[in-house]
Amino acid sequence: MPRYLRIVLLLTPGLGLVVVMMSMVIYRAVAQSFGLYNFGGEDILSLAHWQEMFDNRRYWSALRWSGYIATTSALLSVALAYPLALWLRRPFFGSTILSAMIKAPYFVPGLVAAFLLINVISFHGFVNEFMIWIGLWDKPVRMQNDENGYAIIGLQVWKQLPLAFLLLLGSIQSIPDSVLHAAQDLGAGTLARFRRVVLPLTMKAMQAALVLIFIGAAGDFSFQAIAGPARKNSMATLMTQLQGSNYSDWNGAAVVGVTLMGLSLVGAVALAGFVQLMTKFTENVR
Amino acid sequence: MGLEIENVGVRFGSFEALRSVNLTVDDGAFVTLLGPSGCGKTTLLNVIAGFLKPTSGTVRMDGMDISDTRPEARDTAMCFQSYALFPHLSVRENVAFGPRQKKVPKNEIVQRVSKLLDQMGLDIHAEKLPNALSGGQQQRVALARALAVAPGIVLFDEPLSNLDAKLRDQVRTEIRALQREVGFTAVYVTHDQAEALAMSDEVFLLNKGVVEQSGAPREIYFRPRTSFVADFIGAANLHVGKIKDGAMATPFGPLGVRGADALNKTVCWRPEVVRLGGDLQGAVTASAFQGGHLDLFVSAGDQTVRLQVPGSHEFDVGDEVSFGLDPENVVVLADEGHVDA
Ligand SMILES: Nc1ncnc2c1ncn2[C@@H]1O[C@H](COP(=O)(O)OP(=O)(O)OP(=O)(O)O)[C@@H](O)[C@H]1O
Ligand SMILES: [Mg+2]
Repeated sequence: MPRYLRIVLLLTPGLGLVVVMMSMVIYRAVAQSFGLYNFGGEDILSLAHWQEMFDNRRYWSALRWSGYIATTSALLSVALAYPLALWLRRPFFGSTILSAMIKAPYFVPGLVAAFLLINVISFHGFVNEFMIWIGLWDKPVRMQNDENGYAIIGLQVWKQLPLAFLLLLGSIQSIPDSVLHAAQDLGAGTLARFRRVVLPLTMKAMQAALVLIFIGAAGDFSFQAIAGPARKNSMATLMTQLQGSNYSDWNGAAVVGVTLMGLSLVGAVALAGFVQLMTKFTENVR
Repeated sequence: MGLEIENVGVRFGSFEALRSVNLTVDDGAFVTLLGPSGCGKTTLLNVIAGFLKPTSGTVRMDGMDISDTRPEARDTAMCFQSYALFPHLSVRENVAFGPRQKKVPKNEIVQRVSKLLDQMGLDIHAEKLPNALSGGQQQRVALARALAVAPGIVLFDEPLSNLDAKLRDQVRTEIRALQREVGFTAVYVTHDQAEALAMSDEVFLLNKGVVEQSGAPREIYFRPRTSFVADFIGAANLHVGKIKDGAMATPFGPLGVRGADALNKTVCWRPEVVRLGGDLQGAVTASAFQGGHLDLFVSAGDQTVRLQVPGSHEFDVGDEVSFGLDPENVVVLADEGHVDA
């Protein structure tokens, strides 16, 4: 038996199942977006549903919105995780507690976190009541469901930062002190050491963090539904709206779903590529 | 660039890695720090480079106290014992790291780097990543990288330990020639005493966190101050006993000594200062022909000494041999009469 065949056969029971399930789901979503598997009528293969969505302003607005939230959350999480990981790279008194506190949000369900946040920032929430009580504000300030999605981004970062932190910490800890000393010895200050040594040596971990966070945030439903601006949709909330409520537009929802997968793929590749470009400073000397 | 280290102490918790180190290095001098493993050599280099803040004492460069100067602002470059190469950069980029950081003009970087790679025999490996190199090659990259910034002081932490004998000789000569040409001050750590004697203007012998003795190689070699120095540098013959009327009684016979009478003293002499024929006597227990000379191990009572005689002589085990020493070649050591092996 040829070697590759044996490998394929050995992998089939595990990987095969995953591949079959995944491709079935993706196939159905794609097929549905082109009018097949139609629950509401006859199956007609057509571009009509895509056409319809392309003409729908809510579709484009949701796509832009999800892209914006996902990119901002991913970049912000990584930007905040780097200094934390560098700081907690070597153990010191209290560092275990600190890093446990940073990781904790990862174990809090997103929905719970969103409700907690709302309790804090709502019109009659903790912050408003407190500010009025101490007399700094004379009437409550509207912070909930803000137009720029700061609450969602805040929630995303709070929730996803542990992931970036863990990935970067492992990667940073594998850089020997002597290598950082060598850079410092050759005249590299804090920033130069970060740019010329830490960044390129942790690039893979940073890419992984960006990609995972981007994909997670792009598909967000709960934060958007609870803390997002009322007049905006994320891809996921748009999907449920199309398919649920009174529209029952399964095919339209499929178009949004397929677009979301596309957004995840394109966004992930774009972010990873951006990082690669950024770290590939012109170190070459000929 | 001159270097002064004054009463420098370093503690790790309750452990004193350096107790009170004093040393002065003139501008352009080549000095070695010599000492057994764990005596604090790397620790001292880390203090000079600035990676480690001493618990006490001061470090001065060209007369200026640099205790609060950050490592990146110090005019030093270290050649690390563990190489510490940048794993993501090619050999050429590793060597160019320092000059680029110091904003040296591009074409000068290219020239400087190529020249160093040539000198270290690394030109054919220039585009490889460090992990594709052998230990000895990596060590030479570390060397080239430190030299490329043309610093005032170069700190070498056992830079040749991974090279074979022939390459070591060659690179050692290169380093010395380069140092004379460029004029940097060199602090060179080694635990190879032959290397220390061959290369340095001055040797600092470290033991248990203090400088036990310092001086020119000849002085250290022929005039050791303590039994530790005598024993660590080269093969020394030591005797412990009473000095009376310019002689010490040994199992080999009376040994002429230039020193005041004392009850309990250690004296030492080098194997090569001996001459055949004299009033000392013993039996040959082993002999090793070394080409130019013959190493003889000679015993009497419970003591054995080592003699070095011209290679033209022949001895068999068991032969009686008589030998003599000039009293001025016998050094009276400062420490009390105990030989610490
Ligand atoms: N970070 C540290 N924490 C605790 N002890 C340390 C630390 N660094 C070094 N030491 C101790 O200090 C002593 C001196 O170490 P150092 O590395 O300077 O020795 P060395 O003379 O360079 O030895 P070698 O020839 O083996 O390289 C050793 O006993 C070592 O265990
Ligand atoms: Mg060392």
